[in-house]
Amino acid sequence: MKFRAKIIDVGCLNHFTRVVNTVSRLTKACVLRLTCDHLYFVLSGRVATGGVSMWCELSQVNFFDEFQLEGVSADANEIFLEVAPENFSRALKTAQNAKSVKIKLTKKTCPCLTLAAELPSLSSVSRVVTHDIPVDVIPRRLWHDFREPQMPDFDVSIYLPPLKTMKSVVDRMKNLSNYLVLEANLNGEMNLKIETDLVSVTTHFKELGNPPWGDDGSQSSSPTHRDPDLMAEARVDIKKLQQFLMGQQVNPSKAMCNIVHRRILHLIFLHEDVSLQYFIPAVE
Amino acid sequence: MKCVIEGNGVKVFGKAVHALSRIGNEIWLDPQEKGLAVRTVNSSQSAYACFCFTPLFFQQYIPDPDIQNGCEAVKCMLNMKCVLPLFRCASWKERRVDRCEISVNIPNSRVIFQFHCRHGITKTYNLGYQECEALQAVFPAHLCPNVLMAQSKLLGDIVVHFPVSQEEVTLSISSFKVTLKTFCEEENNCIKGMNTELMLHPDEFDYFQVGEDSAVTFCLKELRGLLSFAEPYGLPVNCQFGVAGQPVSFTVKDMTLEAHVVLSTLTDPNHESPSQPAPGDDCPVNVTNTSTAEITTCESLWRQRKMIQLHAPGEILPKLSLIPESALTTPVTPATSKIRSLLFGAVYSDGGKDKTADLPSLACASDTEDDGGTEE
Repeated sequence: MKFRAKIIDVGCLNHFTRVVNTVSRLTKACVLRLTCDHLYFVLSGRVATGGVSMWCELSQVNFFDEFQLEGVSADANEIFLEVAPENFSRALKTAQNAKSVKIKLTKKTCPCLTLAAELPSLSSVSRVVTHDIPVDVIPRRLWHDFREPQMPDFDVSIYLPPLKTMKSVVDRMKNLSNYLVLEANLNGEMNLKIETDLVSVTTHFKELGNPPWGDDGSQSSSPTHRDPDLMAEARVDIKKLQQFLMGQQVNPSKAMCNIVHRRILHLIFLHEDVSLQYFIPAVE
Repeated sequence: MKCVIEGNGVKVFGKAVHALSRIGNEIWLDPQEKGLAVRTVNSSQSAYACFCFTPLFFQQYIPDPDIQNGCEAVKCMLNMKCVLPLFRCASWKERRVDRCEISVNIPNSRVIFQFHCRHGITKTYNLGYQECEALQAVFPAHLCPNVLMAQSKLLGDIVVHFPVSQEEVTLSISSFKVTLKTFCEEENNCIKGMNTELMLHPDEFDYFQVGEDSAVTFCLKELRGLLSFAEPYGLPVNCQFGVAGQPVSFTVKDMTLEAHVVLSTLTDPNHESPSQPAPGDDCPVNVTNTSTAEITTCESLWRQRKMIQLHAPGEILPKLSLIPESALTTPVTPATSKIRSLLFGAVYSDGGKDKTADLPSLACASDTEDDGGTEE
């Protein structure tokens, strides 16, 4: 198994760092899946994480100048590593002005992702900082746990309101209740609701727009004669929603959510070269 | 003792106290002819720091207004927790404080900090002190084979790569490069955390002297205080060290002050000095009446941290050949109020200490039994 990659462009490095920072705020540990064309940060839904799952996909060509991978075997040319994204984040943090950053899979006392950054220095010879990030190699028989999630048959798909606004609303609601109901319809309307014994608060958003699914193959199976005013809702743990909104460092060009009525909240952020999907299960 | 610090100086003094607070829980005030020395030592005596403010630093500096012949100014030990809050919110205080007067009231055993602030407000703090001998680390600078001098910004840029919680780092030097990396006691522990290593070329340093290739491991946390002090003032930092086990010293100098941090380093189990019992000896510990700073166990991977050798000025320390190898430092207690130690083969010399030879001899602390040296 071999992996080497190199980033030279400062913009790419900053962008990659922001993606890693976002992932590190969502989860303490995740799986890094490497293929010849993509990197994926994967968190599969487990009871321990409250059932949330995450799928973050990067197209490697948009970040790395060099990218060489030799996977587990010829017919399974991929590598799956368990890593703490916070370590990755910390390693990248002080390398933001590096001339180049090399990442490779190494074996020290344990398998590591070694990040070596060449930094500007006062002399003709560059300063080199090396970080060894411990990783666990995931054996092939467990790979099926980390497959790309299927697009659920959603009932409503809607663009999210400006994230800043949404975040401040959710922050305030968190003080009042542990659970939040997100409901939306095909008329571009979304409500965020909390309800306790003492108080109920609803924030209404209008004219958000609904993404035109249809050309993708991931079309909702229910035909388009759903009543546009009919709300689909999901009641979720407010902390999980807040955690997702808090961590965002990448300003997505498209932010939307798909709701499977009373089942799942599926949040999707798209940027030119990065896509981030986050699934929050609904609770009763 | 009485001294007056004007506006900007109060901020500097406050920052110095902050830097000292990163190391020890007590602060020693030692007024001398050449300036006011403010010192601290950590509880395990593996880190020592001293800020010496020259008379130039003060608007007014009187070591001891009642000085009589042969009598030196009183030395005060204060609790860091009492002194630090006085200098909190340094930037806020800087705008409001016109001057600060520090004086010692001997009859009441109080150190008085008086802050004269804007709008005619005066804040007076009376802190109780314990009188004791001052400490000074024994650091034979002239015996250090390796010397590095760098701008504090460079050092700041170096340590930023290491997490703030990182305790120990290893500084290695050779003719080709200088390396700083995280230190793990056991290889297995490294699985949990990240390992970071930074490599620099000797050209990056303002002064680079390598007498002996070596790698010293010390506690980075304790150095950060000095670095955060030096960086805003753009002061260069001088670093001197030898081989593993010998202390490493960091010095920052200016016309008005000199700051000195001495940190002990871990010994290298592979290069034990012949005098120490070799690992693998059946008897793990040579227990004498006095506790030894070095305790070798049978595990050859055991690394020890040597305690910094400290002595009270006023002692004439015995020369190299007369000292037996048993080591000790007695822990500081209010009762003994003095730290005695024996040297490991280096003579402490300090050109500036003209007065010490004249001082009357000080009694030995009675619990030091292995004192092989002669005293004046």
